[in-house]
This record gives sequence, structure tokens and C-alpha cells, in this order.
Amino acid sequence: MRGTPVHLLSDGTGPALLFLHGAGAAGRWLPFQEQLAQHFTVYAPSHPGHGGAPAVEWIEHISDLAFHYLDLLDELGLDRVHLAGASLGGWIGAEIAVMASQRLSSLVLIDPVGIKVNGWIYPFLFGMELPQLISTVFHHPEAALALAPKDQSIDTLAELYRQNAALARVAWNPHLYNPLLRRRLPRITAPTLLCWGEHDQVSPLLCADAWAKEIPGAQLVTFRESGHAPHLEEPEAVAAAVIAFCLRQKSAP
Amino acid sequence: MKFYYFHLMPYVMEHEEPSSWVTLSNRHYDPEVGRGRYHEYLDQLEYAEKLGWDGLCVNEHHQNCYGTMPSPNVMAAMLVRRTSRAKIAILGNGLPLRENPLRIAEEIAMLDVVSGGRVISGFVRGIGPEYFSLAVNPTHSRERFYEAADLIIRAWTEEGPFPFDGRFFRYPYVNPWPRPLQKPHPPVWCPSQGSTETVEWAAQRRFPYLMVFTPIKRIAQIYGEYREACERYGYTASRYQLTVNLPIVVAENDAKAYEIARENVLWVYNVGLRMRTPFYLPPGYVTETSLRRVLANRPKPPTELTFDDLEAGGYIIVGSPATVRDKLKVFSDELKAGIVCSGLNGGSHEKTLEMMELFAREVMPHFREDAHVDETAGVGR
Repeated sequence: MRGTPVHLLSDGTGPALLFLHGAGAAGRWLPFQEQLAQHFTVYAPSHPGHGGAPAVEWIEHISDLAFHYLDLLDELGLDRVHLAGASLGGWIGAEIAVMASQRLSSLVLIDPVGIKVNGWIYPFLFGMELPQLISTVFHHPEAALALAPKDQSIDTLAELYRQNAALARVAWNPHLYNPLLRRRLPRITAPTLLCWGEHDQVSPLLCADAWAKEIPGAQLVTFRESGHAPHLEEPEAVAAAVIAFCLRQKSAP
Repeated sequence: MKFYYFHLMPYVMEHEEPSSWVTLSNRHYDPEVGRGRYHEYLDQLEYAEKLGWDGLCVNEHHQNCYGTMPSPNVMAAMLVRRTSRAKIAILGNGLPLRENPLRIAEEIAMLDVVSGGRVISGFVRGIGPEYFSLAVNPTHSRERFYEAADLIIRAWTEEGPFPFDGRFFRYPYVNPWPRPLQKPHPPVWCPSQGSTETVEWAAQRRFPYLMVFTPIKRIAQIYGEYREACERYGYTASRYQLTVNLPIVVAENDAKAYEIARENVLWVYNVGLRMRTPFYLPPGYVTETSLRRVLANRPKPPTELTFDDLEAGGYIIVGSPATVRDKLKVFSDELKAGIVCSGLNGGSHEKTLEMMELFAREVMPHFREDAHVDETAGVGR
């Protein structure tokens, strides 16, 4: 697409839903997507550099990823979609929404990062060894197994390094946010659902309040048994909330 | 062969924390103790000039107990006025770590003018943990390095003012006062651990290449790659473009030297270089090719090196004056390195001074066939 290769998983029938994954979850078709696919045609691309997708030099800012996905919608001929994004994917989703809200039938943000919240500094994930990273991201650490690398081969380790570098390019400093995004959130006109893990230690409920305050009419629903990734820790409950919300909004024909 | 005295200025201490870098709390740093050490270390460097060393080396590291010189230019400034003959080698300034690298061009020029043209300016990227301490994006490291180097050299050599418009650094007026004394500019060295990209970059510009804390087999390999690259760029590398940095311990006999070394040398590797795994290679800091080479070789982390590894691997030189002379001959005669940058460590300030005297008396004079040569003539610029 415009010279940039795209790794894309897709399944299901119904209105189009673009799902943008969080860091570390690229290229995986998990129970959450499977449930969404019962009601929607789910498009789940891997961010460039993530999950084995080639890294792309021109992507150096979070807005580049937003333009990349607007290009993808054009390429797929999708005028309007439901957009759901988790964590990093939620950040990208919000960047898309402030640029082109008219292309979204609805917006679902699951524990997004991306805005500066007074009183909160996102923990520096790049400095964490795996056990600390898992206990920071997940309320139930066993949920992390779904994202375990397939082996410890040189190819796999090189792929993980490439993925981390792709994330660092857009999120090292400022860490996990765009200073300009928050003041733009009031531009969002798409109906918005915020899904939040009650035990999130990356982007805690304090952040949810800020998002809810800035996005006009946003609804917030929280999940009691989840940390930063409720769609991985409580996939049925989160999928049910997302499906119900999106089906209430008017989809593109 | 030329001898440069290299100081890390460590804050030697034992601790149980997982990292001596970035997160080792500075509550462990006692400024009164630090004051005493700074003065001892500076005394050692000044004494090295008196004993005949050709150069004195300082370097830059941040937020750690391994080396307490976050600003090497500050230390160089102290040495410049207290010495009169030795080169002052700053090995080096971490170019990508500076938000405003024009400041480096200014600071080095100041030192060069005051010192009467004795400054050698190392350009480094800084090691992994530096990117955590100073929050510089490691995926920009290499590009910022090249761009800052270009800026600094142009600032030293082109008549100002001129505009500079890079990806990371932009100036409407590049016009630093003072200009450096050495022409066309102070020699530039590249201290490195052997990445292919840096070898090429340095060889192309005739910048001397300094292997830091590397086993001897790898030094030989990288020297070979550097020489070959120089040939490709149409010239033969001078021996003063090949430099090595390794610790030396010398005593009146081998047994005594080994005893001192066992007690003091391991700290640098086992404690000083202890760090959390993510700090070693921050994302994007190395190319995928370099990463794959590291993964394929899986070198032992410094914390797992034993004294025998250091000895057998040629990371260090230990022995009586005769033994040390023989080991140094490998560098001078086989590897044809022109400059050895070494710190000595006797375990205490007084014992270190004694060790320096022994080295200057019993070792150095045997390598002085090039005493009349200026090692910075025609290289590094």
C-alpha cells in the first residue's frame, strides 16, 4: 500500500470493524477478535515493524500510523468503519478520530495511552525485564501466555527487537503520549466507548476520567478482573460490551 | 608506541542492586567520598604526564558508579591548566546525547585554544543505558551521531556564519567563537566496540579507531576490517589510527601482579558493568545485522566474566615488567597498534602511583623508538 507492505488478518461477516492491536499483540487472532467476527467483518492489521511485519522508515511519529491506517481504509474501499483499538492501538485510533471522525461509525478505546494526564506518568516500559512488564500490564499474569513468543531463536529475538524499535520510534520520549492529542480530542464526533481494566497500572482509571472528560459524550465501562488489557483478560465481557455498543450505532451500508 | 593514561573515575562500591546504571540510587553517592576520589584521580592523571605518558584520557558516562564523569569536558578543563605537554584526549563526547551539539564544538574549541592545541576529540554514541538516563530516543542514535559530527566538524572548519538544517539539529547561524587552534581541527577519534558501520565511518575519515574493553581476538579482527576499509578508501592506515583501551596491572613479579589484579580488576566488569538486560541494547540502538551477530556469538555478559576469562581472553594485561612488556609487544608488533590507552589500578591511590612509577621505569622505555613522532600528525582529520 503506497509502497508499504501490510500484514492483515481478516475474518467474519457484517459491517467493517478495524481492530488496532496493542504492543506485543500483533499478528494474533485471539478469542476477542473471534467473538467480534461473529457480528462484524474484522480487519486486524499488524502495525509496521510489529509481529513480523517489515519496519517502515517513514513512520516516525504516531500521526504517521494514523495516516497509514487512513490509507488502508482507502485501499480496502471502506468509507466508514467501526474502529476498536487497545492501548497503543487505542492511541492510534484516537489520532485517526481527531483527523477523520466522519469515517468512523463508532470508536472503541480499550485502555488507551496517548494523552498527558496530570498526576500520572506512564511507567517506562522499555526499562522493564519481562516479569516486571507482565506484572505491570496484566492483573492475571497467566493472560500474558497468549502473547508468549513462539521460541527463543535468533529470528524470533530479532523480530521482537524490531517490534520494540518500531514502538520506541513513536513512544520513547514523550513516553506513550502525544502532547498535542489531548486538546484535539473534543473534535471527535463519533460515538465513543471507553473500556477500562480496573487494575490498569499503565494507564489507570485516572486516565479514563481524562479521556471521558475530553471526548464529547464518551461512555466508560470498566472491567473488574483486568489490568491494562481487559480484551485479553476478560475477552467475552469486553467483546459483549463492544458488540452491543457498535450494533447500536449506525454502520455504513 | 604511545602511552595514554585512561581514567574511568569509578565510584568503587559493593551493592546488591540489579544494576549499577540508570537505577542505582544516587543515595549511595557520598559527595565527601566523591570529592576525595576526584582529587586522587586527577592527581593520578597529572602525575602520568610527569612520568612520561603521552596523553591523558577522560570519558563520558551517566547515572552510574562505573564512571563518574557525566561531563568529560569539565574534567578536561581541569587538566588543561595543570598540564603542559600531554595530549588531552576526551574519549569521547556522546554526540547523540546532546540536545544541542553545537555546544560540543564550542567547548572543544575552548579547550583546544587554552591547551595550545593539545586536545583530541573523541566522538561516541554513548552506551545503551545512557539512552535511558538522558531519555534520548535510541532509534535516532546513529543518525544523530552522524549529523552532530558533521555539524561540529563544519563548525570548526568553515568560516561562519552559515546555516545548518539537519533532521535533528537546525541553526540559522553557525559561527562559534572561539575557533579551534589545531588545523584543520582537533583530531577526532572513534572509541567503539566494533560495529561495522562505525568502522567504515571512521576509516573513511581517517579517524583513529579505539577498541574499548574488548578481548584480543576481536581486536585483531576489527583492526583487520578497519585496515581493509582504509585501503578501500585509497590509503594505508597509520599505526596511530589503531588504538586499544585495556587495563594493565604491573608489579615486581607475576605472582604479586596477579594477586593485585584478582583483587581489583574484576570490579569493573562484575559490578561496574552490571545492568538490567533491557539497558544493554535499547531498541533501535543497533542495526538488525549487528544484533544478529551479537545473538549468534552470545558473548558472556561482563557480570559473568571470571578473572581467568579476562586473562585468557586478553581483556587485561597483568604481570611483572618483563611479562607486561611481552604482552604489549603483541599489540605493538603483531597488531601494530600505535597507541595504548590504559589505566593502572593498584587498589589504593598510593599503590596506584607506585604502579605507575614502575610502569614508567620498567616498561615504557622499551617502546620508545617513536618518541620523536607526533602521533596526531595527519590522522584524525
